[in-house]
Amino acid sequence: MTDSTPHSSETPASGPAVGQDEWVARHAERRLIRGGPLAPMEERLRAVPWWVWLTLFVGVMCLLPAVTASGYVRRVAFDTVLYMMLALGLNVVVGWGGLLDLGYVAFYGLGAYSYALLDSDQFHVHLPAYVAIPVVVVIGAIAGFLLGLPSRRLHGDYLAIVTLFFLQLFQTIATNGDSIFGHNVTGGAFGIFTVKPLHAFGHNLVVQHQGVFAVTYYFVALGFFALIYVALRFVNLSRTGRAWRSLREDPLAAEAMGMPVNALKLMSFAFGAAIAALTGTIFASLSASVLPLTFYFVLLITIYTMVILGGSGSMRGVVLGALVIGPLLELLRDPNKSRIIFYVALIGGLVFAFRRSRRLGIVVAATLAFGFVCHAIAGALHHSWIAGSADGGLQHVVSYWLIIPKHLAGWIPPVSYVGVICVALVLTLVHGRLRLVLLPPTLYLAAFVWDNVMLTQPDPARYIVLGLILIALMIIRPNGLLGERRVEIV
Amino acid sequence: MDTFIQLTIDALTLGSVYALIALGYTLVYGVLKLLNFAHGDVFMVGTFIGYGVLQLLGGAESPNVPVWALIPIITVAAMAGCAILGVVIERFAYRPLRDAPRIAPLISALGVSFFLANSMQLLFGATPRTYNAFDLGNGELYFKGFDIGNVRVPLLRIITIGSAFVLMIALYLLVNKTRTGKAMRATSYDREAAAMMGIDIDKVIRFTFILGSALAGAAGVMFALRVPTTAAIGFVAGLKGFTAAVIGGIGSIPGAMAGGLILGFAESYTQGYISTKWSDLVVFSILIAFMIFRPQGLLGRADIRKV
Amino acid sequence: MADKRLEIKGVSLNFGGLAVVADLDIDVNEGEIVSVIGPNGAGKTTLFNLITGIYRPDAGDIVLDGKSLVGLQPHQISQRGVSRTFQSLRLFLNMSVIENVMAAAYGNTHAGVFRSMLRTPGMRREEREIREFASQRLAFFGERLMGYRWDQPAYSLSYANRRRLEIARATATKPTLLLLDEPAAGMNPVETHEIAELIGRLRDEGGYTILVIEHDMHVVEGISDRVVALDHGVKIAEGTFDEVATNPRVVEAYLGTKAAATK
Ligand SMILES: Nc1ncnc2c1ncn2[C@@H]1O[C@H](COP(=O)(O)OP(=O)(O)OP(=O)(O)O)[C@@H](O)[C@H]1O
Ligand SMILES: [Mg+2]
Repeated sequence: MTDSTPHSSETPASGPAVGQDEWVARHAERRLIRGGPLAPMEERLRAVPWWVWLTLFVGVMCLLPAVTASGYVRRVAFDTVLYMMLALGLNVVVGWGGLLDLGYVAFYGLGAYSYALLDSDQFHVHLPAYVAIPVVVVIGAIAGFLLGLPSRRLHGDYLAIVTLFFLQLFQTIATNGDSIFGHNVTGGAFGIFTVKPLHAFGHNLVVQHQGVFAVTYYFVALGFFALIYVALRFVNLSRTGRAWRSLREDPLAAEAMGMPVNALKLMSFAFGAAIAALTGTIFASLSASVLPLTFYFVLLITIYTMVILGGSGSMRGVVLGALVIGPLLELLRDPNKSRIIFYVALIGGLVFAFRRSRRLGIVVAATLAFGFVCHAIAGALHHSWIAGSADGGLQHVVSYWLIIPKHLAGWIPPVSYVGVICVALVLTLVHGRLRLVLLPPTLYLAAFVWDNVMLTQPDPARYIVLGLILIALMIIRPNGLLGERRVEIV
Repeated sequence: MDTFIQLTIDALTLGSVYALIALGYTLVYGVLKLLNFAHGDVFMVGTFIGYGVLQLLGGAESPNVPVWALIPIITVAAMAGCAILGVVIERFAYRPLRDAPRIAPLISALGVSFFLANSMQLLFGATPRTYNAFDLGNGELYFKGFDIGNVRVPLLRIITIGSAFVLMIALYLLVNKTRTGKAMRATSYDREAAAMMGIDIDKVIRFTFILGSALAGAAGVMFALRVPTTAAIGFVAGLKGFTAAVIGGIGSIPGAMAGGLILGFAESYTQGYISTKWSDLVVFSILIAFMIFRPQGLLGRADIRKV
Repeated sequence: MADKRLEIKGVSLNFGGLAVVADLDIDVNEGEIVSVIGPNGAGKTTLFNLITGIYRPDAGDIVLDGKSLVGLQPHQISQRGVSRTFQSLRLFLNMSVIENVMAAAYGNTHAGVFRSMLRTPGMRREEREIREFASQRLAFFGERLMGYRWDQPAYSLSYANRRRLEIARATATKPTLLLLDEPAAGMNPVETHEIAELIGRLRDEGGYTILVIEHDMHVVEGISDRVVALDHGVKIAEGTFDEVATNPRVVEAYLGTKAAATK
């Protein structure tokens, strides 16, 4: 992270010159104060041009298939690249245009479906990639433009509702599109499953090689990612990019300074939609099928979380966000990895909250002690209460400390789940010693819920984590990991 | 003709549910200028609270309380539960963001919505839960009623529509005739000025969330008396409710009622006369038409740009 | 006889029954500095909002260089050569100082999105020109804004410098008519004096016609060719500073308000 947080409030020896801001006069010093042995290195890293970083990043990503031969890992990496592209596209609309586009994934779906119709057995159309992809991108841009049209005079909230409804409408059409005036267009709820891989000049870009995910798609996706990144970077530093950001900052002032706000909004909308549609083509050609439910609320929230976590408005940020959230969602599918993530996050959170103070030790020790006591009591009451650990690995280790009953009575999940939420909320209200006292039982309860309730159903559990990340981010760090700290105009 | 009457009754039922949800949006929007995406999921939680209390009372078939008391009890329980939920959401997810950029609480609201829907899914699974309203009083509420032409209007429908309208009138009086209501209106007009006039803004906002969420709870029970409920209904219900609020003119209470009914009629007639599949398309067209020709909605005020 | 640049003819505006501007007539000639004064709530800012197309008059006409501005979008009016600053500063706070000024050059530059994506030589040249132009606009303020790093975010500027940056940004749309809304508000006496001088220089060196709202009577006296006094949306006096300042209706309008008209 390159944020230069002020570390010292000392006034500099030489005061600010007349007619100069004090804040500004100290600005340079604040930067330098961030001392330590790493400071010169940080300065030097800061001086590295962006395209070097991009090349490095893409280069490292390209090496991945050399490191692992697992088709699963490669597929996850491929999905992550798609996420990065989607996040970049959403960043244009949300991060630069400042527009809340909740229909974003519908454009992704639109791209996927359009490609599916242009290269599948549905209508026996088989266009080569160099025709199909540009056509789909144009379709996406036009759709974005049209959707923005009725909303152009309206401010963000109305736009949000129109776009959200558009997402719903896309679902309806995709699901019921198997009989539009008697024609089967979208394949209905089962989708289209005869989508062909990308092909050009008589060559197919094969998806699987002897049953294993072929890395060519991964490279194609990375290529598109790099292309989009460079293009967006250039647009951002052009008059259009400046105008987008101006209208995010203050639409009225932007208009008074000669920027056609409506046209710019439509443009940013269409831009985001086109990128989403482009990503859709790659997705559809790889998956060989498209299903309506892929493009729904869950994906929307996932991409928003990526953009917000990384820092909306910052291109590096949203890429980082996708890079974190994509694999995280994948890891959370597996109970054992999920458990590891939980404890790592727990300890990381504690270290972050308490730094290296003595209280950190106290809390950890108290939580451990509390757990052993609970465990002993539960075991004494009835053996089955602590006999639930089935898998080996971390659960086996933890089961000496954590209560894992053999059978969960029906009331336990709701009560413990709601309980841990309530306690956690109360924890945010109290301070000082009381908080310290409440923390160990809360942590223990959280571990209990995680192991006994959440891990049994990875799917809602993963999404609950996403929801929590979104809420917590907005409250603790709305600028995300790499986003600029924003000053609000009042 | 019979179909028409049948559809009209359906429209009124559906419309009053939408209207109740829309009121929650409109109230919160009026006071906080916040599009509370989580509202649809509060409604969804309301359907589940109603279901839970119904089961506690022995279920629809053989309840432990008289049939006439059953529906009021579950409705009140759902209203109370949702009111608490609404207050908690406001306190923890929105209040910290009151001075943040406008997009921040919107995103937080998205997070809350997602969180609630998936939490319910986690705890209660994906199987639809039904109130079995057919069994209430051995079918009395369903088969008794009065006739219009050849169409029997079941008692249950009359109760639903009637209580929705009672709630709306009560709300209207509360907002227009009481001190708290005046404070609410003052806050929605100009929050800073209201604060300077000695109005406790936090209290007003909390009260607004209580009202809106309680109405969503009541709507939840009315909804689930007709159709089985799942954790996933919050999204669409919220979307429709908010559309109703926008069509009626966001911030306007009579507008939300009108918008809800318009939506109910549009959906019901489309489903009856055209196709069950395309009602979303019709509603979306209505929304777009409003956006183009009357963006302030049916009864809303055109807003003036503040400079 | 100087040419009329801006003619405001019988303009009225109501907000929910309240007449904020009523039947107002003002002319501004080429190269003139006209000050608009009046107590708080007199409708001065509203007048600016009417000229720049943020509000649409209920009656009357606003004519710039013989063509009506009524019904045009604010950005179209900006392209006709009208630019403004805001009383309640409206900078693009999270953009850098120079980007604020560069952004305002949007209307008189041309590179489209596709050229920007490809970074064509023409686009790069234009980009360099914009930067050069923006630096010139900032340099107009001499020491004041030169002392800063222009890649700092605008929110790091002090209040007075934000006002200066707003003026710099307004001039970057290449206007011919400049509307300044209380440019000296919140400045200390030295800075106020400087701003007054600067407004004179803007006219002399930049060739702008200037309409300025100002509460500080020293500034008004120092810069104005002509003064228009408003009260309750009505023009109550017009003329040279001395004529207006001694006008009994103006004195009455100001009685009890902070800016004494006793000078
Ligand atoms: N958008 C609006 N809606 C309703 N009333 C408004 C609006 N804008 C301005 N007004 C009213 O119009 C009147 C004139 O306002 P205006 O801002 O033009 O005053 P002003 O002369 O600029 O005052 P000041 O010296 O305080 O800046 C005020 O009474 C104000 O309340
Ligand atoms: Mg003013």
